[in-house]
Amino acid sequence: MSEKKREFYVVNHSVPRGDGVAKVTGQAKYASDVVLPGMAYAKLLRSPYAHARILSIKVGEAEAQPGVFAVLTGDRLEGLNPYYGHAVKDHPVLAMGKVRYVGEPVVAVVAVDERTAFQALDHITVQYEEMPAVLSVEQALAKGAPILHERTFAAGGFRGFEADVSAGRGTNICQEAHVTWGDADKAFAEAAAVVEGEYYYPMAYAYAMEPYVCVAEVNESGVTCYSSCQHPFIVRHDVAGVFNLPVSKVRLVVPFVGGGYGSKSYTKIEPLTAACAWKARRPVKLQLSVEEAVLTTRSDDALVRERTAVDAQGKLLARQATIYLNTGAYAENSPLVCEKAANRAAGPYRIPNARIDCYGVYTNTAPASSFRGFGSAQVTLAAESQIDEIAEKIGQDPLAFRLANVAERGEVFFPKSRPLDGDLKSDLKKVADLLGWDKPLPKGKGRAVGCTASDAGAYPVTSAAVRVHGDGSVSVLTGSTELGQGSHTIVAQIAAEEIGVPFEKVRVVGSDTAITPFDRSTGASRTTTLMGRAVLEACQDAVSQMRAMAADVLRCPVEEVTLMRGGVQRGADRLDWSQVLARYFGLPDGEVLGRAYLRKAGDLSQLPVFWELGCLGVQVSVDEETGRVHLEKLAVVGDVGLAINPALAEGQDLGAATMGMGIGLYEELIYDGEQLVNNSLLDYRVPRFSDLPEELHLALTENQDGVGPYGAKGGGEGSLNPISSALVNALYRATGVRLRRVPLLPERVWRALRDARHGRESCPAPTKQDAKSRREAG
Amino acid sequence: MMPLRRFRIHQPGTIAEAAEMLAHFGESGRLYAGGTELLLAMKHDVLRFEHLVDVKTVPGLAGIEANGGWLRIGGVATHRSIEISPVVRQRLPLFAEMEAKVANGRVRATGTLAGNLCFAEPHSDPATLLLALEARVRVEGRSGPRTLTIQELIPGAYQTSLASDEILTAVEIPLPKNGQRASYLKFQVHERPTLGLALVMETQDRGQAIATARVAVGCVCPFPRRSRQAESLLVGDRPQVERNLSQAAEVLADEADLIDDLEGGADYKRHLISVFLKRAFACAFPGR
Ligand SMILES: Cc1cc2nc3c(=O)[nH]c(=O)nc-3n(C[C@H](O)[C@H](O)[C@H](O)COP(=O)(O)OP(=O)(O)OC[C@H]3O[C@@H](n4cnc5c(N)ncnc54)[C@H](O)[C@@H]3O)c2cc1C
Repeated sequence: MSEKKREFYVVNHSVPRGDGVAKVTGQAKYASDVVLPGMAYAKLLRSPYAHARILSIKVGEAEAQPGVFAVLTGDRLEGLNPYYGHAVKDHPVLAMGKVRYVGEPVVAVVAVDERTAFQALDHITVQYEEMPAVLSVEQALAKGAPILHERTFAAGGFRGFEADVSAGRGTNICQEAHVTWGDADKAFAEAAAVVEGEYYYPMAYAYAMEPYVCVAEVNESGVTCYSSCQHPFIVRHDVAGVFNLPVSKVRLVVPFVGGGYGSKSYTKIEPLTAACAWKARRPVKLQLSVEEAVLTTRSDDALVRERTAVDAQGKLLARQATIYLNTGAYAENSPLVCEKAANRAAGPYRIPNARIDCYGVYTNTAPASSFRGFGSAQVTLAAESQIDEIAEKIGQDPLAFRLANVAERGEVFFPKSRPLDGDLKSDLKKVADLLGWDKPLPKGKGRAVGCTASDAGAYPVTSAAVRVHGDGSVSVLTGSTELGQGSHTIVAQIAAEEIGVPFEKVRVVGSDTAITPFDRSTGASRTTTLMGRAVLEACQDAVSQMRAMAADVLRCPVEEVTLMRGGVQRGADRLDWSQVLARYFGLPDGEVLGRAYLRKAGDLSQLPVFWELGCLGVQVSVDEETGRVHLEKLAVVGDVGLAINPALAEGQDLGAATMGMGIGLYEELIYDGEQLVNNSLLDYRVPRFSDLPEELHLALTENQDGVGPYGAKGGGEGSLNPISSALVNALYRATGVRLRRVPLLPERVWRALRDARHGRESCPAPTKQDAKSRREAG
Repeated sequence: MMPLRRFRIHQPGTIAEAAEMLAHFGESGRLYAGGTELLLAMKHDVLRFEHLVDVKTVPGLAGIEANGGWLRIGGVATHRSIEISPVVRQRLPLFAEMEAKVANGRVRATGTLAGNLCFAEPHSDPATLLLALEARVRVEGRSGPRTLTIQELIPGAYQTSLASDEILTAVEIPLPKNGQRASYLKFQVHERPTLGLALVMETQDRGQAIATARVAVGCVCPFPRRSRQAESLLVGDRPQVERNLSQAAEVLADEADLIDDLEGGADYKRHLISVFLKRAFACAFPGR
């Protein structure tokens, strides 16, 4: 660890999170707590078909039910622009003309309460004409496949990448991304050893504890939405588009959000809720159940075919991958997931030749979008599995192989990008130490390490305002949303550090697009780095204004006023900020407004904003009789530059690793034909406390090498990305059996072990048919 | 999960009154105890009832007592009350241990043993163990009281042989005699168990010989099953029985009507029966 540049008072300390007490005592307010006078409630009728033309919708009887205020359908949206989407405007507010997946909203009923709205749905008749559907990537790409979206699309300005969009060009390809450097074909021809395989990473549900909620009001001052969204400013943009309004007339207010994990990125139910309010001429609340939330956003599942080559010295020579992402019925943020998956497929290694082709494909299934890790977890299963595979093939230890090939600090390992701003090599060594890499293990246990680097931070546009009040207390206005990750605590720590006031004197005012300045998004692990830095700069702006005010009241040149913590000094005169403001304004109150705008310029001009690193090690035990794999030891190193709040940073690392472990071991959304069969928590298995490893090591690397405040970089996704591959590799080292798909469900592992014992190919080509055929057999 | 449709709760003061209410409401009414199954199914809109008859308001149904060779658990006793009951812990600790692992704390605090049995969800822990323990249930309706075995009570998945006005008033379990060795094991991945296996043996010669054996398997099949043929293989000298375990497991699996579902394929469940029969046997003879 390099030496700290200065002594810190508040940052780099694990101060208790500012919202902790409010949350554990139930005082914290979420969108579902919002109640407006005269508010009504909406419920949705959803499509029973994967792909069908809507012939007619009869709503008269529903409208006649007592307590029903309005019934909204796709053809009752005259006056609105019915399509939205920040990357591809393919998403109708309600199904228009046809439905594209089972569970798509077709009709909304607005009534005096939820039950009345729900019961009125029984009185609606929709006539459909079924059309052939495509339920897998293979079907969607087949010749003559039915097409989900026939229209052409312009690329949206918030899509997050430079390339154009592929959607609407007569195929079901929603987005394709290609990354090449060197000459991969030539390298494979000359390689000393090559491994090759096909891998499948499942579709998953982020399971935020709070499902989607929106309360909308439409009146002469415009549209106001209280929403559980992560990116209020981009949602504002989409809602403004639907209602043809300037953004100043659209207000998104985000109270506390009960978890996001990417699933609340971008626009979800806000346009629909606002349309309901517009139709019913009163405020409307729409809150989804967990089952409905799964039908709103899931993650892209991925089929990855990959090859990796080394030279005779054991140096990585080339990688080639073809990736198919199942994007579902609407683009949502999957075009960006596609781009990111391509960028992240080669891994954080020195590789002279690479060719990555990634396709995000529309299918008649629930829409996929952002999910913590953003394509990285999907492609890392293949990439990090193959690092172990090739190391074994040339007789090397997987850790030694990684240490010999991992990108060095400062190295440009991905073309035209920021050099690696972290120290993966030392992180890997740290993990190996924590894990006890060289200690012997009994039979039935195995260890593995894994690492990733993600181009994180999104597009760096962020602004912040800091108000220093007459009594020296501070309000921070931030457009970043508090999702539980602790961002409000972090920005308060930074403001307390910079203005020189106690943490308790800082109040954070959360996202309200009518009040808080613009921030592109709360995602891609960017908030500490970008919002943290904007707040720091806004504080410095306020401090420099107050220093000038001090010079004014002290009647001296500014240069004679020196800064001290919480105020200024000139000779024997010491003034704290409240004294400066009181003397300057001549009142016991008054304020200074500091502000900062960040954009892609200066040290933020090179993307990514930072490389988010993931580095961890696992030790598993395997019950070979049942096939159960148990994670008994986990070591995570968070290479975060500087932890503004170490406890929160470690909490993010553990949370991400646990979430990834869920998918590695248990979680998988399963389609049986057109139907998603396990979207209830009774059947979808999320991790429990009892699944946590008995031995846990969380460590931080703080080299202050990021572009964020005090050299900080983001965290929060890193340790999700390599954990599935680490579990797979550890299982291999425990049993000699390699699976190329997760989750490592006991039955799946048992079958692979049994097949290996009988000398059969241990990993049949990934197929989603096994659950289905089982059900059919049953 | 959806908003609950409108319904009315009725609170009878006696079993007879409850039976009258149930008879009166017919198809539109249902008995309601902890509601952990019933309300969940109603919130998922797979069951609809306009009238719920709350059996919890009938006095005297929550008791747990040991009497005359039987452990008697009242018709509204919750899993939690059984789990922590000193009588159960002392007289039939295996049952308390099984109860402590049913579902989660919230479900155990409100969910009842009777509700578990009467919903006849195929993934029941208690039903499997009670079958092997040869428990019986007391039921009462307008036509008077009856006593049923577990087999008689649960003839199929989500099916019971109760008439629509009948109430389960007690579960009665024979108290173990000296020399009983028993174990219950489950294997679980999802919210409900994948497999439950109960083994109950009467032994002689300080555990060297097994005089009678009862083995039941559940969750892998539509309702819990025993196999007399498998049980006959589990009788005799302990080493001989140990050698028979694989064969007994096969027989049990053959008779169990194993199903393929999201918990696993039938062949996997067959394999698990074999693994867990051996483990259950080892558990029943600890410290060897
Ligand atoms: C999340 C979850 C996890 C679970 N996990 C497990 C598990 O691991 N293992 C396991 O064995 N079980 C499990 N269960 C099932 C649980 O044991 C039952 O939900 C509970 O015991 C039902 O009792 P109740 O009182 O809530 O029944 P209710 O929901 O009130 O009633 C259920 C049914 O039984 C009928 N009924 C209730 N009482 C009587 C009576 N006295 N006479 C006649 N009919 C009656 C009702 O009419 C209704 O049809 C789980 C349940 C949930 C929700």
